[in-house]
Amino acid sequence: MTSEKGNKLARVIPEESLNNKLADEPKLDSTSQKRIGDQLRAMYDELMQQPVPDRFKDLLDQLDKKEQEKPR
Amino acid sequence: MTPEPDLRDALLAAVPSLRAFAISLSGQVDRADDLVQDTLLRALSNLHRFERGTNLNAWLFTILRNLFHSEYRKRRREVEDPDGSYAGRLKVQPEQGSRLDFEDFRSALAKLPPDQREALLLVGASGFSYEEAAHICGCAVGTIKSRVNRARFRLASLLNVDDVDDLGPDSMTRAALQNSI
Repeated sequence: MTSEKGNKLARVIPEESLNNKLADEPKLDSTSQKRIGDQLRAMYDELMQQPVPDRFKDLLDQLDKKEQEKPR
Repeated sequence: MTPEPDLRDALLAAVPSLRAFAISLSGQVDRADDLVQDTLLRALSNLHRFERGTNLNAWLFTILRNLFHSEYRKRRREVEDPDGSYAGRLKVQPEQGSRLDFEDFRSALAKLPPDQREALLLVGASGFSYEEAAHICGCAVGTIKSRVNRARFRLASLLNVDDVDDLGPDSMTRAALQNSI
């Protein structure tokens, strides 16, 4: 890649050109991408499997009751 | 407006994914739970704004994400994490005996700029499409794609994913051995 071009890029990048801009960004090979993705999902799954704290159940139950008492 | 039972169940069903997102985004379980609580409260008081038939999860994620950012702007100095203390605070090891060690991954995730972290979490973990993620973040699809791409690239270099020696069962075993010493 030569460095002659590129110094006078428009300062405002129109939205639609961002997709093209992606092509200029370094991109991971699919193997690395998969590894990152697998690790991310594994970490996330662990969080998802945590039991829901009671406070959220209580919160929704309480609001249920409160709303029912309100005359509307 | 009384939340219908099925809506209440739907909100409750959304909590695990909201929590996972909030914890990964903020790096603090307590703060994440506060964020989820505020999200539920705000959702309940704005139920009339929710369009039935559209994606409830996406709507909730939008609320949570906006709450996080308005709080983030307020507490920017506190939240910036040059020394990786985000990762230090993030101690979520619910299941003892889990053989997977996510510490490296978490600390790498913490080093990403928030907008990249958020985009990666939405697309790579929460299961949203690029279009949905763009809607949630209020930006263009191309912006999300670019952020996700940068996030992956940055993570790969932080985790040395390109280095084949560091990968696979060997590194897992090594990590396990190191931990057991």
